[in-house]
Amino acid sequence: MEKSGSIDSLGSKRSSSRQPSVDSLSSTSTSRSDRSAQAKPPSAMSSDSVATSAELSPELRVKPKTLAKQVPRDSDKEEPQLLPNETVQDMAQDVTYFCPFIGAMRGTVTVTNYRLFFKCMDREPAFVLDLPLGVVSRVEKIGSASSRGDVSYGLVCKDMRNLRFAHKQMDDTLRKSIFEVLMKFAFPVSNGLQIFAFEYGQVFPENGWKVYDAVSEYKRQGIPNESWRITKVNDHYEVCDTYPSTLAVPVNIPDEELKRVSAFRAKGRIPVLSWIHPESQATVTRCSQPMVGVNGKRSKEDEKYLQAIMDANAQSHKLFIFDARPSVNAAANKMKGGGYESEDAYQNAELVFLDIHNIHVMRESLRKLKDVVYPNIEDSHWLSNLESTHWLEHIKLILAGALRIADKVESGKTSVVVHCSDGWDRTGQLTSLSMLMLDGYYRTIRGFEVLLEKEWLSFGHRFQLRIGHGDKNHTDADRSPVFIQFIDCVWQLTRQFPAAFEFNEYFLVTILDHLYSCLFGTFLCNSEQQRLKEEIPKRTVSLWSYINSQLEEFTNPLYVNYSNHVLFPVVSLRHLELWVGYYIRWNPRMRPQEPVHQRYKELLAKRAELQKRVDELQREVTNRSASSSSERAGSPTRSITPVQTFV
Amino acid sequence: MLTGSKTTFKVRQMLPDIKERMLSQSGVNARSRDVFGLRCLPGECVLQRAVMVRKKLTAREGRGWLSGTLFCTHFRVAFVPQDSPRPDDNADPVLLGDHDVALASIEKVVVVGPNRTKLVTPNSSLKFTPEELVLYCRDLRVICFLFDRLTPDAQVLEITYTIAKTYQPPKPGSVLSFQNAALGSVEMKQFLSNRRRNAHMNWYESVSDWEQELERCGAMGWRVSSVNDRFEMSTSLSRFIVVPHKVLDTELKKSFAHFNEGRIPRWCWRHPRGSDLLRMASFQNNIYHEKDDIRNLEMILFGCQSSLCVVVELAEELPSPADIQLAHSRLRALCLGDISTSVSVPDDKWLSTLESTHWLDYTRSCLKKASEVACLLRGGHLTVALQEADDRDMSCVVSSLVQVMCDPHCRTQHGFQSLVQKEWVMAGHRFYSRVNYHRDNDKEEAPVFLLFLDCVWQLLSQYPSRFQLTDDFLLALHDSIHLPLFSSFLANCQRERCKRSQNLGQSYTPVNGWRDMLHPDSSSDPSDPPLPPVWDWDLQYSKHRRDRFTQPVPPVPPLQPLLNGNLNTNPDTHRLTDTLPGSVFLLSRGTFSCPANLLPWRSTSSGPYKKSHRRAASSENVPGLERLLKAWALTEFPQALTSTSGPQGPLDPYEPLLPLLMGPCMGLWRECYLRGALHAQAFSHPISANHPHPVERLAQEVQQLKDKLAQVSTGTDRSPSTKTAEPRRTDANLNQNTNNGTFLFPAARPQSKAAPRMTPPPTSTTTNHQTSRGPPPASAPPSRPVRRDNGGSSSSGNKHTFLFGHSSVTEARTYPAPNNAKLPKSNGPSLAS
Repeated sequence: MEKSGSIDSLGSKRSSSRQPSVDSLSSTSTSRSDRSAQAKPPSAMSSDSVATSAELSPELRVKPKTLAKQVPRDSDKEEPQLLPNETVQDMAQDVTYFCPFIGAMRGTVTVTNYRLFFKCMDREPAFVLDLPLGVVSRVEKIGSASSRGDVSYGLVCKDMRNLRFAHKQMDDTLRKSIFEVLMKFAFPVSNGLQIFAFEYGQVFPENGWKVYDAVSEYKRQGIPNESWRITKVNDHYEVCDTYPSTLAVPVNIPDEELKRVSAFRAKGRIPVLSWIHPESQATVTRCSQPMVGVNGKRSKEDEKYLQAIMDANAQSHKLFIFDARPSVNAAANKMKGGGYESEDAYQNAELVFLDIHNIHVMRESLRKLKDVVYPNIEDSHWLSNLESTHWLEHIKLILAGALRIADKVESGKTSVVVHCSDGWDRTGQLTSLSMLMLDGYYRTIRGFEVLLEKEWLSFGHRFQLRIGHGDKNHTDADRSPVFIQFIDCVWQLTRQFPAAFEFNEYFLVTILDHLYSCLFGTFLCNSEQQRLKEEIPKRTVSLWSYINSQLEEFTNPLYVNYSNHVLFPVVSLRHLELWVGYYIRWNPRMRPQEPVHQRYKELLAKRAELQKRVDELQREVTNRSASSSSERAGSPTRSITPVQTFV
Repeated sequence: MLTGSKTTFKVRQMLPDIKERMLSQSGVNARSRDVFGLRCLPGECVLQRAVMVRKKLTAREGRGWLSGTLFCTHFRVAFVPQDSPRPDDNADPVLLGDHDVALASIEKVVVVGPNRTKLVTPNSSLKFTPEELVLYCRDLRVICFLFDRLTPDAQVLEITYTIAKTYQPPKPGSVLSFQNAALGSVEMKQFLSNRRRNAHMNWYESVSDWEQELERCGAMGWRVSSVNDRFEMSTSLSRFIVVPHKVLDTELKKSFAHFNEGRIPRWCWRHPRGSDLLRMASFQNNIYHEKDDIRNLEMILFGCQSSLCVVVELAEELPSPADIQLAHSRLRALCLGDISTSVSVPDDKWLSTLESTHWLDYTRSCLKKASEVACLLRGGHLTVALQEADDRDMSCVVSSLVQVMCDPHCRTQHGFQSLVQKEWVMAGHRFYSRVNYHRDNDKEEAPVFLLFLDCVWQLLSQYPSRFQLTDDFLLALHDSIHLPLFSSFLANCQRERCKRSQNLGQSYTPVNGWRDMLHPDSSSDPSDPPLPPVWDWDLQYSKHRRDRFTQPVPPVPPLQPLLNGNLNTNPDTHRLTDTLPGSVFLLSRGTFSCPANLLPWRSTSSGPYKKSHRRAASSENVPGLERLLKAWALTEFPQALTSTSGPQGPLDPYEPLLPLLMGPCMGLWRECYLRGALHAQAFSHPISANHPHPVERLAQEVQQLKDKLAQVSTGTDRSPSTKTAEPRRTDANLNQNTNNGTFLFPAARPQSKAAPRMTPPPTSTTTNHQTSRGPPPASAPPSRPVRRDNGGSSSSGNKHTFLFGHSSVTEARTYPAPNNAKLPKSNGPSLAS
């Protein structure tokens, strides 16, 4: 992970000068804070940059085939390397950047239709800040009337940092400040512009839009089978406009009845299959809340439908309904026509509340977390401050809920129905996490991509609203870090089961970085229907194209593929940790001490070496035993179990 | 390491009373041993047994359950998994099996019934049949056994009562009887007295041991003095101390009186850049300092540097032993919960409660202090003297932490053992009082050593690939201290240890020597068994657990066994040495000062040194020193100085490992403190324990193929045995590097042993193996010439031996010396960084 060119160069310089200089500090922090930038796809200009920086050859240790890590290395250039169709919109000299860790520094700011690029040439090596505009949540002008006539701007970012800049008051009052320009391009949606993903025209060897196909994913799970069928009833998004077109439902419920069930479920989100246990046939199904209302309305069709879900699993005569909400909130939803299944109406069903709070509570919690970790950390009260954000507690509740679901399905062989209010936030967290625990396929890189495509994107997690791509309305109450929470939970799982996931931490960080960056089309829009309407797959590049084109960057060398292995994490707060590598990554003091990633790769090589050795020995044995037909004819050639090596 | 003449012990059941006799008749005879498979120590008797018991496995062991048989003896509660391999009667005795717990480690016995939990004491009687038996141990383990419905009720009750009666609440007599139960038998005594000491570590017991260390550090100008040979000068110091060459013993003798407990400044370690680390107690102010004495004192203090001495006062920013004790007991309570009521801190208060124990604060402050000292030493050519009132607690912590940070040798298992031997055991850390084995001196109790282990763990977790030892090793050490069996810990200083062994006659023959049997075992008091040192791990742990003490692939480029004491690459040095000689500064709270009363004899204006040019410490030094510290303050920031920042960059092995000290960087050693927490295992799943990791499987296959090859051809029978050690360790390493408490595919998989194909190679190789398995190259005893090392291993090796990086390093060393410089390059990219 520490492989930016600038660090490399640092390493070599270090040996000559031992005295730490502030310059070196800045550069380290840059390379750290710019990690998202390093992961940028290759640009058309890359060949130029190689040419200009040829004399700095020791730094150019990037393998040519690697697509990532195109840090602008040429120290004489003040502009960033541009992506295809990225254009410079404005440039300003003598802008001061107030780095909370290093201090103020002066440099040049470039704003393109994709990024903000700050470069300070006074330092050696130069300090670079490269920020996709998509991460900007808010731009605020701070007290214009300072003594020297400086104007100061604060950028509040979605990825746990705030940036502050200042520049001289414009002499020419007609000329706009560069930050006014920035505002225009940071919020293209609000300004009638196009999100950059639609312009970005990079071509990758892999096509990420082909990663997920609903029918083949259901087929992988063994659907259709005798109890479940695939329906096209929602082909034109008429039954439910936030659902995908392909749904899996119980065999004995005809499409007509599905439509009647949809009337009883909020937003028409009927219970549909997410995952089926390959052996016990216990299922995870998801839906939205039933429209019970204050009067306790019932729906024969819905009751019959849930009965059908239960009957589809012969192993159990019970059905668990997991309502993600706290029971108080669920009850309060009755006032708005919603509610929860009464156990009178649903025989054999048991309703469990999982006490997970709503999007507003989560947003507030993350805000508090940001206050605690950025920019400064109070060492003496770190743990109690962390506790007061309740962030880890929320993580724990989500994981605990998913664990209960997985346990019911795996150990109890019972089918479960999961819902919250609308079934697109907490429900998605719970189903996808429990599927991750239950099914090893989703722990591979491709499988995880499929999981996101399926449970999050196709089932209508409202990414556009929750993230607010290109929208300047930063106070929008619909924004919430639901997806970040999910990725955090996944990270917690990877910590507890370091060998169970094919992807590494960098993979998760990359996903979150491009959740905001608006470089790829993957996380745009709110539903499959909208994505189709906007022709996202045609007009944008998928994040998976980028990731799948360089899998080695994202592969966990410790991965061991054991299929049918169920993960039951420990969900006590005692065993959860704050994801320092994401939330506190801007703080240069938090840089990991060691390139552990590198070490993993070595171990991987060791493993391959071993494998090779086994093969050799095996060959040798067969040769020899063939030649010398001596004693011991019976004992040997035990069939060698093939061992996968993941190189 | 084993003795060549192997004494074999047939398991013998002693039958002191009828009940036991009946028990043994009913089945603990030859046949039943095959069924239940407990291998007793010589003289150990099984008091009670319960079948069909399941043991709850911790996360590290793979979680889930393991069924088998539970035993209680005079010495331990043992658990033998159902299909564990048959014990080898000819093997040397191992005190504790992988699933055993010594009675002396047990703190509380709790049983869980259908709907209640009860603390069982020797006198309590149970009104219900327990379903679960929970043993809370002093070392923070919690071991939980589940009785099956098929376990006969009588057995359940009996074994519960037996354990409750025999686990001894600590008091003087009980410790002794425990020691006797473990080591008191004639065979055991004989066995112990025949054991050879680990020759790969430095014991600091003889002059030559110390000289070896001086040589290793390249410390010129120092000599080993035996002025304290009879402990007449200082009772708590070791027999031999290292002092400057130029100070004669006669001069030295006069210095003792000036220091608390006679603990004069003495050398501990030399940084490769030429700075010396010293330790001393506080000055005795109430005696008159004579002129000659003072000259000697200063000569000792300035050591060989003659220029600059920084006194680091340790009391100020570090916790007192009482603080540590309080923090640790809070941490214990937090991690174990309230045992009797099974109430634990609610999850939502966990973080703040953890914070309020201050344990992490204390680890941080120790690491911070050690980092400061390490940075000072890095500056080169000065003397840093750690001063503590009695020089027996925090100076042990700080001086050894500094060496762990700066000296790669101390990050190997044997190097670390030598370090503990030097800075703790020989330096007179009061293990006996601090651990409070007899529970008769609560005021003195303080787990200072455990705080140190935690600090080392913090370093290990931040620099996993810079250590050759693993946290399994740290855990083993952590647990051993709670076992009152080891001479290393059962005394407060060398003098006490010597007294004891004089009474007993020498056990543990000196390195490479054989004990001449002048005193047959009858000479020693039968009630006082000879105590082994803690470093005799073979005695405590089975081989596969010991294998996990070290990483198989040494992470750093091969270490030069001899540090060059005159390595001088530091530009700052010149500035520091330019100044007038003899300046003394005090480092306190991160700043330097030169208080008048720092050296008591310099403070009084009437003092004899009134006219000395040394009196006014040159303040020109201060900026230079502060720069050193400031450099550190900055490195704490981006670690710009640590050479690790460039993954491919050359590693300077002498750069200290400076830890990150911010709040989020201080981790909780979950594998230690939370391994017993029962709630952590709530949702465990039994199947996870059974799959070997692919590396292990590969390794097994390599092994089998090798065996087969050996059979087919006439291969040497050595190579297979060498191999057995290595594959296992690779696996441990894989887990190690994840640096995480919970493993999906942990290495500990006792069941895997059950598989018939795992049966150990023919016995002939077992003995062979002892000799052929060379020490890990990184921990090769420094005095040994490199040549010898590779001679040993290459003799054992046809090509097949060099499968792992571990061995390949050894191989690399066979290159002629000039190539040495290139080594990091050839090996470095793959092994280091």
